Amino acid sequence: MHNKTTGRFSTWILRAYIALVLVFVFSPLLASMVFSFNSDRFPSLPLGEFTTHWYKAVWNNDAVPEALRNSVIVSLCSAVLGTFIGFCTAYTDYRYQFRGKALYLGLALLPPTIPLVIMGLAMLAWLSRAGLSGTLFAIIIAHTVMCAPFAMALIRLRLQQIDPNLEAAAWNLGASEWRTMRSVIIPFTRPSIIAALCLTAAVSFDEFAVAWFVSGLNKTVPVVILEILQGNVDPQINAIGTFVFIISITLVVITQLIVMKQNKGHRHGR
Amino acid sequence: MPITDGRSSRLYAHLWRWPMPVWQLLFFLVPLCFMVLMSFWLVKNYRMEPAFVTANWEKMFSRGYFWNAYWRTLGLAGLTTLIATLLAFPAAYALSFKVSETVRRWIIFLLIIPFFTSFLVRIYAWQVILAESGVINAGLATLGIGPFTMLNTAFGTIIGYLTLTLPLVVILQTMSLSQVDRSLIEAAWNLGSSRVRTIATVILPLAKTGLIIGAVFCFILAFGDFVSPYYLGGSKPPTLSILIIDTTKSGQQWPRAAVVAITMIVTLLTVAFAAVALAYRSRVRR
Amino acid sequence: MKKTTDQTTVSTGRRGILKAGAALGVSTIIGAPYIRPAHAAPTEINMLAWYGHGEPDMVGAFEEANNVKFKPKYYAGGDNMLALIAQSPPGTYDIILSDAEFVQQLNAAGYIEEMNAADYPFDDFVHSDFQKFPGHWADDKLWSVMVRYGHLGVSYNTERVSAEEAESYKVFWKPELKGKVGHFDWHLPSLGQISLYGGNNSPSPFDIDEGAWTKVQDITRSLRPQVGGFFDYGGTFASLKNGEMSAMCGIGDWITGVLERDGAPVASVVPKEGGIQFTESYSIGKGSEKAEIVKKFIQYMLSPEGQATSAQMAAYPGFCVTNAGMKKLQEVNMAEAQRTGQVEGAANHPVSLIKEGRIHYRDIPKQQSLEDWNDFWSEYKDA
Repeated sequence: MHNKTTGRFSTWILRAYIALVLVFVFSPLLASMVFSFNSDRFPSLPLGEFTTHWYKAVWNNDAVPEALRNSVIVSLCSAVLGTFIGFCTAYTDYRYQFRGKALYLGLALLPPTIPLVIMGLAMLAWLSRAGLSGTLFAIIIAHTVMCAPFAMALIRLRLQQIDPNLEAAAWNLGASEWRTMRSVIIPFTRPSIIAALCLTAAVSFDEFAVAWFVSGLNKTVPVVILEILQGNVDPQINAIGTFVFIISITLVVITQLIVMKQNKGHRHGR
Repeated sequence: MPITDGRSSRLYAHLWRWPMPVWQLLFFLVPLCFMVLMSFWLVKNYRMEPAFVTANWEKMFSRGYFWNAYWRTLGLAGLTTLIATLLAFPAAYALSFKVSETVRRWIIFLLIIPFFTSFLVRIYAWQVILAESGVINAGLATLGIGPFTMLNTAFGTIIGYLTLTLPLVVILQTMSLSQVDRSLIEAAWNLGSSRVRTIATVILPLAKTGLIIGAVFCFILAFGDFVSPYYLGGSKPPTLSILIIDTTKSGQQWPRAAVVAITMIVTLLTVAFAAVALAYRSRVRR
Repeated sequence: MKKTTDQTTVSTGRRGILKAGAALGVSTIIGAPYIRPAHAAPTEINMLAWYGHGEPDMVGAFEEANNVKFKPKYYAGGDNMLALIAQSPPGTYDIILSDAEFVQQLNAAGYIEEMNAADYPFDDFVHSDFQKFPGHWADDKLWSVMVRYGHLGVSYNTERVSAEEAESYKVFWKPELKGKVGHFDWHLPSLGQISLYGGNNSPSPFDIDEGAWTKVQDITRSLRPQVGGFFDYGGTFASLKNGEMSAMCGIGDWITGVLERDGAPVASVVPKEGGIQFTESYSIGKGSEKAEIVKKFIQYMLSPEGQATSAQMAAYPGFCVTNAGMKKLQEVNMAEAQRTGQVEGAANHPVSLIKEGRIHYRDIPKQQSLEDWNDFWSEYKDA
């Protein structure tokens, strides 16, 4: 039944299948990169000539640098706020038992179940009453709501691995709760905090539905992309996409390296 | 929990406890409740006026196009969930049991990459790939096949949904499959169970919770996405999310859009709770 | 996420980094709204318009000459425009490009400022109708000034549809075009065209009684099996260009003109049943602090240079509303002037078409409510 040849055969089929899934996932990414250097406005096979025209067009597009600035501000602020709130929630869940905790956790984890279009609708309706619509604050507020649950989940997973006696030991040694937080909990969860910052920044950076509803005249990069898609549909989209992709991947790799180096440092430090 | 100096401890506890509820209350629950309230308002001459009328609910619920869109969206999202789950499982299985730890980590890393790229850009790329004069049809034409209409069809919409959800479903399934105790699988094999039987009777039940969670996320994402049905499905026919956008665009009918939105939320919560209950119950039974 | 369970080292050295990070975070949060571009900031003018009106080809020269910067927000369709204004704080938009038939609503809702007729070259307008365009004046007060217009008819792929076939809206029902007819996703132009096809041309395809409206709905429904999709500006543009759609209902040269420039085999024609005119007018936003410079911009758009620029707008072409503008267009781009019939004696001269009674101004429904039409459109899309 499990003779070696059929086993090896099926293993290779399954591995090929993984490759197929990766092809599906990456074909739009690769295609958009290729199209960004292709002269055709509506690319097909065979491809047109090589050009950097679309990159030049982006370079000369005034909307892009401003949108990039808005996006950076929004994603940094939402990442910091979302991670802070996520950390508080995760720590509360890890450390305390109280009445209504199920409800508390429900509230913490509910936002991702609400479709973005609806979030946008509700946020705009509410924030325009509060006089905040059309400002970057509006986007930051909305994105923080969306980011916090992700940060909470990541940090909570990490706290799961902490030795519950550790905090108690620190207290017994006379450390205050604040000091224990600073010198035990935060260092321990630091990789997850960094990961959460990174993930939430990415979530915010690519979010377009809510931003589209509430941004008004202060557009972020994805909103500009959406407007080009609704507007004159040109391969500038690919150029912006490739550019943004390179930035975010660089960030991811740097974060990965920091986390890895830190892990190593800890291990050696022992 | 050890008891320390009462006051500082309480302050400490509250400091961690309250940021989330305060923020989510002000900027999440209140907006949602406001939307519920708004669904009872009136629109006169393109302006919303506070009122308490059920006209918007009656109007939307009595419209055939609303219910058609509702069942269609439910069907499309359900179909996508089924397809994504089935497509993801062999990959997740292979990732969990057929490759080395290093390879698995790398492939998961690759699957995370799409989350750091613009979904809109990927959809635009699909538009170009799937078009009648696009890459796939041009490739098929050299073989003398086609052209096939893929854009502006339900097929296009589902491709878009899968672009959004498939990597996530594979990751979640892999995470839950790799936690399945290998010794149990080996035991099943030693007892002469076939590969398929092992999957069905040992692996699937053990990984059920993770599989269901993956499916739920897939459903939620597909149910609410408006980009795929719009840019790959040609809004033909529209889904609920497109209906929301159309309704807000035309005549400032926000109260009616709110009706659609609330119906969607109720549906999603029902599905999510039912699925979580299912996942949880099976675990208890074990 | 890599799981390591052995990290319990109490590290005080990294506290500094964390502090710095927190400080950075806090300062970005606090500093966010105050960060401004480093260079001397030109006056920003917030514009609400159809796609393309705030792009460099349209506003670049004016921006440079007056040290201003346009910040555009784009919409599609008059009801969309009203929704966007309603959601923004008053005074958000300094200048609003509106579809002519919605000026009345803008005015009624108090979204726009009164204008002074003496500021604009009405005497030179190509057609007397345009001087007192319906809804632009109320109680002898001016609220909006027309800057460009265009005609909507049958838009088609010239390789798949012949010029003769395109002479009637009937072509949309051609069996070969099944799944290849697209709609611009807005009810007014599409339903207006079908109303014309149903013979409602007097007084207007938008002024129809209940019987005629029912008939329009029936004709429209019969078109549904032919329809390949409902598109926004971008989608309309892309699907005609990449051959996804062979004919398009509810648009005209404003889309195909751009594609023609790009070398695509598409064209638009005003068919024998008549065509619809879209009319674009500028208004000054209520409470704008930049009314003076906005007025100057509208004057620029109505100047010969502005008119010639507008006629060749990159996003979509439109006709000149002044004679001087048309003359300027002939000087700078005779080919475009000829292509669009904006030369003396052309058979498709836009003003001649209007005078021959072949063109009907797009309007909001007169005997039904806009909501009725809207509702039907939702139902139709869903069918």
